[in-house]
Amino acid sequence: MDTFFVVIGMGLCILVLFVLYRVVYGPGVFNRVAALSAIGNKTLIILLIMGFAYHRVEMFIDISMVYALLNFIGTIAASKYLEMEGSTL
Amino acid sequence: MIQISDDIIIKTIARVLVPFIQLFALYVIMHGHHSPGGGFQGGVILGASLVLLVITHGLKDTQKRISEKSVAIFSSLGVLVYGGIGVLCVILLGNFLDYSKLAILLNVPLAQARSLGILGVEIGVGLAVMAVMFSIFCNIATGGRQAEEDDD
Amino acid sequence: MSITTILAVLFMVGGLFFFTTATIGILRFPDFFTRLHATGKGDTLAVLLFLVGFCFYEGFTLTGLKIIFIAVFMFLVQPTATHALSRAGFRCGVKPWMKKEDKK
Repeated sequence: MDTFFVVIGMGLCILVLFVLYRVVYGPGVFNRVAALSAIGNKTLIILLIMGFAYHRVEMFIDISMVYALLNFIGTIAASKYLEMEGSTL
Repeated sequence: MIQISDDIIIKTIARVLVPFIQLFALYVIMHGHHSPGGGFQGGVILGASLVLLVITHGLKDTQKRISEKSVAIFSSLGVLVYGGIGVLCVILLGNFLDYSKLAILLNVPLAQARSLGILGVEIGVGLAVMAVMFSIFCNIATGGRQAEEDDD
Repeated sequence: MSITTILAVLFMVGGLFFFTTATIGILRFPDFFTRLHATGKGDTLAVLLFLVGFCFYEGFTLTGLKIIFIAVFMFLVQPTATHALSRAGFRCGVKPWMKKEDKK
């Protein structure tokens, strides 16, 4: 079962590298913010898979919940900032 | 000046989620010595919940619930709890933050006195971190101008 | 290999499939709003499938309950973030992609 988890984790890492192309080359800032949200989703699952592979899930659950929360607040803050064109925050 | 967001979906979801985020932050503070967490991390999550309120509901409405005066009181209270426990250990003839001397005051075994001492210190740190994060965010958002009753 | 382990493996492979299609979507779609479709829907479903698979693998313990909490949180929060981003894009004047008309 451990090798199965490691294989899925490596597959997800390769998917993150593909989305990184959109972060670098996306024309404009909106594409970059959407791709960052996608990377955050995959990172959450990679964290949990690492917890299962090392047989210490209790440690990684709290970390992944906090990461989901911070990803959400970051996306909302970025969209709020981009909505006001020209005003100082 | 952060404008209020005129979208009902984001405002409703933020209002529903903020109490649960704060409950989770208290859980992270309390379980500092069992799982990753502790005072500073819990304080950051508490501050993040207040920042979420400011982003979705505007600065003026949030400052009706938490004024600048109560934020200053919270930060000072956090430092007072931290330093107070340390000085209490000095009064009871020990070193600074020597929690074993607290066993005389609380009538508990030695190991449990140490555990309770650390818990108290973490609570103080969490309060101080939350207040300072919110205060810095408000200062940056208003550009350093003083309280809002100077306008209009 | 008990039945719960087989179910967990099935859910995780399904989640990986939806992650792959969402990644292909965000690379190949022609416009910002269509890419937001791909990542907003595909990623949310994939995360939910993965978390249900983890819950089957872990059993009915405290850790499994916390995984359910994360799943409920993601179900509430991901569509809201997508909605906020698309509103910001619309307000700032990002033009949607139109199919070119054939002039005959």
